[in-house]
Amino acid sequence: MKRPLQALLLLLSGLGLLHATVLTDHYLRYVKKGMLPFLIASGLLLLVLGAAEAWSLWRPRGTGEQDSPDDDHGHGDDHGHGDAHGHDHSTPPRVAWLLLLPALSLLFFAPPAIGAYTASREAPKAVTVTEQDEFDPLPTTSPLPMTLTDFTRRVQQDRDRAIDGRTVQLTGFVTPDKKGAGGDDLWYLTRTIFNCCAADAQFVKVRVHGTPPPPADTWVTLTGTWHPVGTLGTGSASAALDVDTVKKVDRPTNGYTDALPPPRS
Amino acid sequence: MQRTDEPAEGAAPTKAEEATEAERAVVVHPVVAHPETAEAADSDSDSGDGDGDDSGPTSWPRHWPLMLLGAAVLPGVVLFAVGRWSDEPAVLAWRTVCLSITVQALPFLLLGTALSGAINAFVPTRVFTRLLPRNPALAVPVAGAAGVVLPGCECASVPVAHSLIRRGVDPAAAFAFLLSAPAINPIVLTATAIAFPGSPAMVLARLLASLVTAAAMGWLWLWLGRAEWLKPIARHTGHRPGRSRRHEFRLGFQHDFLHAGGFLVVGAMAAATFNVLVPRSVLDTLADSPWLSVLFLAALAVLLSVCSEADAFVAASLTGFSPTARLTFMVVGPMVDLKLIALQTGTFGRAFALRFSAATVVVAILCSVLIGAVLL
Repeated sequence: MKRPLQALLLLLSGLGLLHATVLTDHYLRYVKKGMLPFLIASGLLLLVLGAAEAWSLWRPRGTGEQDSPDDDHGHGDDHGHGDAHGHDHSTPPRVAWLLLLPALSLLFFAPPAIGAYTASREAPKAVTVTEQDEFDPLPTTSPLPMTLTDFTRRVQQDRDRAIDGRTVQLTGFVTPDKKGAGGDDLWYLTRTIFNCCAADAQFVKVRVHGTPPPPADTWVTLTGTWHPVGTLGTGSASAALDVDTVKKVDRPTNGYTDALPPPRS
Repeated sequence: MQRTDEPAEGAAPTKAEEATEAERAVVVHPVVAHPETAEAADSDSDSGDGDGDDSGPTSWPRHWPLMLLGAAVLPGVVLFAVGRWSDEPAVLAWRTVCLSITVQALPFLLLGTALSGAINAFVPTRVFTRLLPRNPALAVPVAGAAGVVLPGCECASVPVAHSLIRRGVDPAAAFAFLLSAPAINPIVLTATAIAFPGSPAMVLARLLASLVTAAAMGWLWLWLGRAEWLKPIARHTGHRPGRSRRHEFRLGFQHDFLHAGGFLVVGAMAAATFNVLVPRSVLDTLADSPWLSVLFLAALAVLLSVCSEADAFVAASLTGFSPTARLTFMVVGPMVDLKLIALQTGTFGRAFALRFSAATVVVAILCSVLIGAVLL
């Protein structure tokens, strides 16, 4: 790989990272918010590396070299080593070209966040792995904003059945149900959760009854009550909702967490 | 760096360059003189790759602006065409997963290559000889335990292990470090404790099984390993007198990053393909048999290529499986996965990567089953 191309590759990768972090918030589609400082630092580092490489190529080697702190050795000596170096370090394999794909992808064609397509193929995340015995009494506000995880827990683990008959408010995106059982328009309200990057995404799903599905990947805020299937407060109860109202909302910036619905405007 | 092993090739351009250099002092076209020699070295190594499509060592000054333009425009055009043509949700999901693995790993890869460059340029060799026991059999567990100090996921450890070998550390010890570092560092252990609340035994089991596997693989390498499986590694002498450390650091860093970055993308693509083609819900059906489930989760760890900081959460979500099977998932994952195999192939050569990964999977499964049986 030629050295100017290496410089170009480094610069593009750095620009791609900075574009996805500083100029836009595309990075939130792929990784967690906590990665932001590392990504910016990486982008800057790559820019500096690329610039240094470009600079070392561009400046006239015969004259500038001797003054620069980089080359504090004699000329003949420079060349013996300089070539060893050129041979040694300037020839990454062709596979390095592949770095162009993520770089250009970040710059121009950032793919969307993980959504309904993947969610419809995955089983819901097992939010009730850990047994929770103690539930605080529910606040009395109505409709009650909840996360999908909380709702599922209340339905399947709260022996006091505090959720029974309560109107709750949930926000998530639409995942159509592939099977479409019985001609009934069933779909899932979904949130994506991941721990590291979108590759380990898991999905919390609440089945929605009583309203036709909006287009896939639409973000909606629902209000409704628990749809009685199974025995409330045990594992046999299914996380499902009878819907009263459906309201389209913008995709929240923290789309990859199971957060409360945004405050009503 | 993998080309430095060919002294004949290195020598010829050196002479040529010295000649050009002599001329350069008189004739004034310095800008051309240097790239020419770089090209000579370049095409030498390219033809070594076997696909020598280079038009010749002298084509450099005429063609490079064109190639630069092509490099900048062509992939963009292709991407654009592909992007318009494929708004298929499956393709979008594939790109998202692929990109997110790459973006997530890049900072760690940079950390690893920066460290490896720094080890190469700034750390004197005597440090290694003083820190590690002389006897390789003793150095293996020490190096394995030293993995605690490298915080990050597995992408960082490959370049670091490589630079350790270049600096004369016994390969067996470097491999023990390579395997243990991503599995037993504090970040990963903390994540494991969070993912498995109320079962500290899981954290302990993971720590022990990973350490034992790393040490066992180091000893196995001492016993059976052959140097010729490794892609010949240049013995870097580290800092050479009369040369700028900063310059060495920058070039080493840049080379290692480009090299490993390319293979990272290969691995990310493979993992994304698996991720999109095989939904995880299909896999839960295999949870019943205790033995099969262990083997199955080991295979899953290899294919999913989840970063070692997150695999504990994935393991925790595989509720249908036995604790031992989940332990296997967490021990195998940081040591062998598609992304790592790609990285190791690039760094150490295919002959090594395949043998080493296969052996590591077997040893890791055995260790996890044994330790899981005792602790879990």
